[in-house]
Amino acid sequence: MTARNRELAYLIVVGALTGLGFASVYIARQSQVSWGSLSYAALFVGLYLVAHVIARVAVPNADPYLLPMAGLLTAVGITEIYRLGPSDAFKQGLWIIVAVAVFAGAVLGLRRDYRVLEQYKYLFGVGAILLLFLPRVPGLGLTVNGARLWVHAGPFQFQPGELAKIFLIVFLAAYLREKREVLAQGRPKDLGPLLLIWGGAMLVLATTNDLGSAFLYYGIFLAMLYIATARLSYVVVGVFLFLAGGAFAESKIAHVHERVVIWLQPWTTTKVYCPLTGTMALRQDCQSYQLVKSLYSIGSGGFGGAGLGKGTFTTATGQQLIPYVNTDFIYSALAQELGLIGASALLLVFMLFVARGMKIALQAEDGFSKLLAAGLTFGFALQTFIIVGGVLRLIPVTGITLPFVSYGGSSVVANFLVLAGLMLVSNRANSQT
Amino acid sequence: MTLASAQVESTLLALKIAFLVLLYLFIWRIVRSASRDLRLPQESMILRPHQVAGLLPQPPAPELGRLVVTASPALEEGEIFVLDAAPISIGRGAVNDIPIASDEYASSRHARFEPRRDGVYVEDVGSTNGTFVNGVRVTRERRLSPGDLIRIGETDLRFEP
Repeated sequence: MTARNRELAYLIVVGALTGLGFASVYIARQSQVSWGSLSYAALFVGLYLVAHVIARVAVPNADPYLLPMAGLLTAVGITEIYRLGPSDAFKQGLWIIVAVAVFAGAVLGLRRDYRVLEQYKYLFGVGAILLLFLPRVPGLGLTVNGARLWVHAGPFQFQPGELAKIFLIVFLAAYLREKREVLAQGRPKDLGPLLLIWGGAMLVLATTNDLGSAFLYYGIFLAMLYIATARLSYVVVGVFLFLAGGAFAESKIAHVHERVVIWLQPWTTTKVYCPLTGTMALRQDCQSYQLVKSLYSIGSGGFGGAGLGKGTFTTATGQQLIPYVNTDFIYSALAQELGLIGASALLLVFMLFVARGMKIALQAEDGFSKLLAAGLTFGFALQTFIIVGGVLRLIPVTGITLPFVSYGGSSVVANFLVLAGLMLVSNRANSQT
Repeated sequence: MTLASAQVESTLLALKIAFLVLLYLFIWRIVRSASRDLRLPQESMILRPHQVAGLLPQPPAPELGRLVVTASPALEEGEIFVLDAAPISIGRGAVNDIPIASDEYASSRHARFEPRRDGVYVEDVGSTNGTFVNGVRVTRERRLSPGDLIRIGETDLRFEP
C-alpha cells in the first residue's frame, strides 16, 4: 500500500471516531438521535480529505501517519469544544479551515525545496522577535488574563507567540546548521548572536508574564543546540542557568512566586490572604481555584470516564466550574469525559506523533532538515509536556495551549504549520531513497 | 427520534465503549505498521544475492602503488612496501609501519603516506629534518607522481605506480 493510500485509510478511521464523538455529545445534550448531529463531523472529515488531496499532490512520499494523528487530535479537541460551548466550536471550525488553507499554501509553495528558508534565517530571527513585541504596541495589543499576548485587528484576535515559535525554530535550524562545527568546539565567543536573540526573546517574555512560553523557547533552544553540537555540557550549563534564573524569579517576581505557591500548596485548611479579592479566604477558593477544580474534574473521570457529553463542567446555577476550560485546561475536561483510559490514549497519540517526527529527523539527509524536523518535534513535545504536566500538577501550571486540541485560532494555525514542515522534510527524505 | 432516558444511558455507554475501542485500534495499527518499517530489511531469513555478496570475504584492496628503497642505513636496498587502502607511517619509533631505527637523521615520527581516491599523498608529521620530494621540502601534504624520489632522514624511497 502506498503512503497516501495508507493515510486515507487512517483518515477514514479518524472520521468514524469524530462521528462517534459528536453523536455521543449530541445525544447527551438533546436525548435525540438525528443526522443533523453528524453534520459537524462530516464537514470536519471533508476538510481533512482536502488536506489529504493536497498532500497527494504536493508531498506524495511524506510520512502517512502524521496527518491522521493531527486529524484525530483536532477532532477530539473540537468535539470537546463543541460539548463545552457550541458557539466556540463554530469559531474553531472556521479557524481549522484557515489552518488547512495555510497548510496547503505551505506545502504547495515549498514543495520543490523548502530549504530556501535557510537563506532568510535572519529575517526569521528578527521576525520572531517582532512578533513577540507586537502585543506591546499600543492600540494593537490586548491584555487577556493578566498576560499581554494578543493582537487584535478588527474582529480578529491573534496570539503572535505561537507563530514566533515556528520562526524561531526555522532561524535556529539555519543558524546552527551553519555554525555547528564552530559551536561544537565550545568557545564562548561564537555564541554571541545566539545569546543576543535568545536574550531578546527572554526579555520580551519576562515583560509579558508568559512563563510557559519562556520555558518552551528556552527548552527548544537548548535541545536544538544539543542536537547540532552533541555537547552535553551545553545542556548541563543551560539547565543550571535555568534553575538559577527560576529560583531568582521565584524570589523576586510576585507573579512567579504565586504560581509556585499554587503548585506546591493548592489547598489550605486555614484562611490566608487572597490577593484577588483582598480578603481572607481558603486558597482553594482563591488563587488555586482553577487548578483544584481541574484536579477534581480529572479525579471524577475515574478509569472509564463519564462519557463524551456526560461530564460536569457547570454548577447547579449554570456557572462555569473551571475558568478557561476549553483552552489551557481542556485536558482535564477530556480526562473527566474519557477517563484514565481515554486520557492515556491521547497521550499515546502525542507520543507517537513525536516518535514519527524524530524518525523523520533521523531520515533527513542534510543538517538543516534534520534540525528543522527535530526542532519542530521537540517544540511540540515540550509544549504538550508543559501544559499536561501543569494540569496534572506535576510542574507549576502555565497558560499554554495543548497542540491541535485546545481552542484558539493562532494555536491551530501554528500547529498545522508544524505539520506542514514535518511532512515536507519527510517527503524529501523519502523521495531520495 | 427521541429516546427514553434508559435508552439514552445505554446508547451513550455503547458509544463510549465504541469510541475508546476505535481509539486504541487506531493507536495499535499505527504502532504496528510504524514498527514494521523498522524490521523491513530483516523480513526474511533467506538472503538475496546482493546481501550474500556483502557477507563473503572481501577481495584484497587494490594496490595503489609501492615504495622501493633505493638507499638507506636502516633498510635493505630494493625492499618494497605496498600501499593499499591503509595509510603507512615511517620514522625511527617502533610504532611506525616502517621503522627505521638506525637512520639517525630521521625523527621518531617522521612522515606518513596516505592513499586516497585521487592518488597517494605524502605528509610530514612534524619531523626535525624534514621530508623531501625530488629535493623539495614538503610543507603540506603533497600528491606523489610515479618516479618521485622521497627522502626521509638518510633513507631514499622511490614511488612507483
